[in-house]
Amino acid sequence: MELNIYAYKCKRCGHIHYPYKTICKNCGENDHNEFDIVPLPKKGKLLTYTTLYNPPSDYEVPTLALGIVELEGGHRITGQLNIKNPKIGMNVEGKVEVVRKEAYNKHLGMVFYQA
Amino acid sequence: MREVYVAGIGITSFTRLEYPLVEIAAYPGLMALRDSGLKKIDQLYVANMGSGRVNGQTGLASAVVDHLSLTPAGAVTIENGPASGASAIKEGFMAVASGMHDVVMVIGAERMREVNQLEATDFVATLTHPLAEYIYGVTLPSLAGMFARLYMEKYGVTSRHLAMVAVKNHHNAMDNFYAHLHEEITLEGILDSPEASTNNPYVADPLRFYDMCPVSDGGACLILVSADVMKKLNKPMIRLAGIGQATDTHAVHERKDPTYLFAVREAAKKSFAMAGVKPEDVDVAELHDAFTILEIAESEEVGFFKKGEGHIALEKGETKIGGKIPINPSGGLKAKGHPVGATGVGQAHEIVLQLRGEAKKRQVKNAKIGFTCNFGGFGNNVVCLTFIKEK
Amino acid sequence: MSIDLEKILRPVDMVLPEFPAKYMTLSNGQEMVVRQVNRDEIPDILPHVEKLMHVERDYYHIVAARVYAELLAYYTYRVQDEYVLAAQVDGEIVAVVNGRIVNPDIGMSFHTLSMRRGLRVGAHAFAAKMEYHMDILKQKEVLIVAESPIGFRRWMIEYKLEKRFHIPHELGGCPSWSLTRNLFDNARNTLVVGRRPVPEKLLAKAHDAILPPTDPPKPPEDLLAATRSMLDNTGTSLIDMRRKLGGM
Repeated sequence: MELNIYAYKCKRCGHIHYPYKTICKNCGENDHNEFDIVPLPKKGKLLTYTTLYNPPSDYEVPTLALGIVELEGGHRITGQLNIKNPKIGMNVEGKVEVVRKEAYNKHLGMVFYQA
Repeated sequence: MREVYVAGIGITSFTRLEYPLVEIAAYPGLMALRDSGLKKIDQLYVANMGSGRVNGQTGLASAVVDHLSLTPAGAVTIENGPASGASAIKEGFMAVASGMHDVVMVIGAERMREVNQLEATDFVATLTHPLAEYIYGVTLPSLAGMFARLYMEKYGVTSRHLAMVAVKNHHNAMDNFYAHLHEEITLEGILDSPEASTNNPYVADPLRFYDMCPVSDGGACLILVSADVMKKLNKPMIRLAGIGQATDTHAVHERKDPTYLFAVREAAKKSFAMAGVKPEDVDVAELHDAFTILEIAESEEVGFFKKGEGHIALEKGETKIGGKIPINPSGGLKAKGHPVGATGVGQAHEIVLQLRGEAKKRQVKNAKIGFTCNFGGFGNNVVCLTFIKEK
Repeated sequence: MSIDLEKILRPVDMVLPEFPAKYMTLSNGQEMVVRQVNRDEIPDILPHVEKLMHVERDYYHIVAARVYAELLAYYTYRVQDEYVLAAQVDGEIVAVVNGRIVNPDIGMSFHTLSMRRGLRVGAHAFAAKMEYHMDILKQKEVLIVAESPIGFRRWMIEYKLEKRFHIPHELGGCPSWSLTRNLFDNARNTLVVGRRPVPEKLLAKAHDAILPPTDPPKPPEDLLAATRSMLDNTGTSLIDMRRKLGGM
């Protein structure tokens, strides 16, 4: 089964939120808060990135590459990068993988590779 | 609304303090009481971000009010991330302005060095979005790194500009007894010499070690009073004239232009409007330079310089003491230190000192209007304060 | 003491090549010289180390006490194949590092004592020590332990040292960590810095005199008060301390 990161599409105006919000940011009406769950696209362009040289202590890696990606359709997502020489504006493609482990809990998130 | 004045100020050194958190909070309170000449207060606000998590102590305000023997005054703890300090000042202002209280004490205090650096960074990182940011290992330095990369790409800011902020603020802190870092640094030492990359290694590319604020302990206090009380005290009339607070999206990636700090812009605008002044009237400012790039970005957003021109003003020396608009004469978070909950109150402390003319060697001449920007989260909760000296 | 007995007590040192002095720019723009010091200079260093034995924070007390003992042993010929490097800024001593040669392949790193904080002085001095073992003596590995969490983060994590827990280190028999040639080569570009030769003036200033550190680590105002206060949140011990110091 292909794993996805899901966004929340307002049932009234169709605006897509990631991450989830209780009230739609676009229509701002508080008489409804119903959303459809839609998978986020996986291809996009790298907007900005950084390499963290002292990641949080529960990571067993010396450096952690992080970036913000503008996905097709204009939604943005923060994710980890697995790219040798990242450049602003390059095409990337995401895969849903384990991004953090807390004891036996595994958190899934988007990891981007060069497209 | 009644007018609100600053009657007394107090501060501890921002450094590693081997005292219980309650004492770190109480000591500046005592200093401020002595400074103002007041004996009793009506209400205490304590700004603190991590006592529950880092120090294993909750209900801090109750402990502090008792420690200062100011009971039965009301006491409330305020947690609002790194903007806790200025948020507590806002609450204090409202309590006095509304007429409910005449004397309100606002204390900011934090003890982060009780845990090691990695744990302290992780504790601050818990203010990022838990599902969209935190799980990826995002910390505040990494958000700043991504912000800086885009900023450099877009506006031509270079590592040299960032280093210049650090050099300026370290230099200012040399004259500040309460600052965390008393160490002059030079561009040669952190950027140009063959050893610079080891002296100043990357932390979150393109930000380096000297682009980051230190992890500090410390406390600061302001006593806010009504005009009637203030007139009896025979102290310089420093009025808290403007307060603006604004918020932005929790996750940084949701912002339309990630190089814009909309919350800073909004908060500053509100604060200036309330005080009835313009950005160009400001004589001295304390901006939230937890990362050097933020001083440049905030100096543009609050309206001192046009967007994309902050680094040019920095190059010209306009932000030095003696320049057009001195920024962070105290050394800023970069060199004065950043005890998260106390920072906003610490910034206000410096501005009151400057307006009173008591800042000694780092005094900005004839400072009449002062401004602070206290930046919470990564720009998702910002409080700006404007202080005016009255005759 | 008869001369014969002294001969028995005194180990015979190997002839070791000298560490060629180097210098580097610190973040504050000052230039720091790292050089090997000889036996005759030890008495000039000891008083500055002694003061740190009373600094009860970040394990300065134990490190200083052990460094003092090691330097004294070196001075009085009671340790075999030890060497001592010193880091100086304008003649002022800012760090002392020392170690020992176990056999031609294995080195034993003893201590890194920084007398000025916040400028990576200790890190530079430690790197020089590793450079001595690896590049000058051409050894295969250096055994290391840390006594403080700061040391552990600096050496074990930054250099990504390998475990040699089956070998007890000479410092207290603690499990050893090892810097291998491979690890050193990996760290070379980022952690090992310095330029040679040292300009004559700079070197002459360093050799001229070992001056006391101007800003050494200081003990908290009252050692016991600070320690007790961690267990005593009423702060009574600190009030007591202030009374002793006279006021707040």
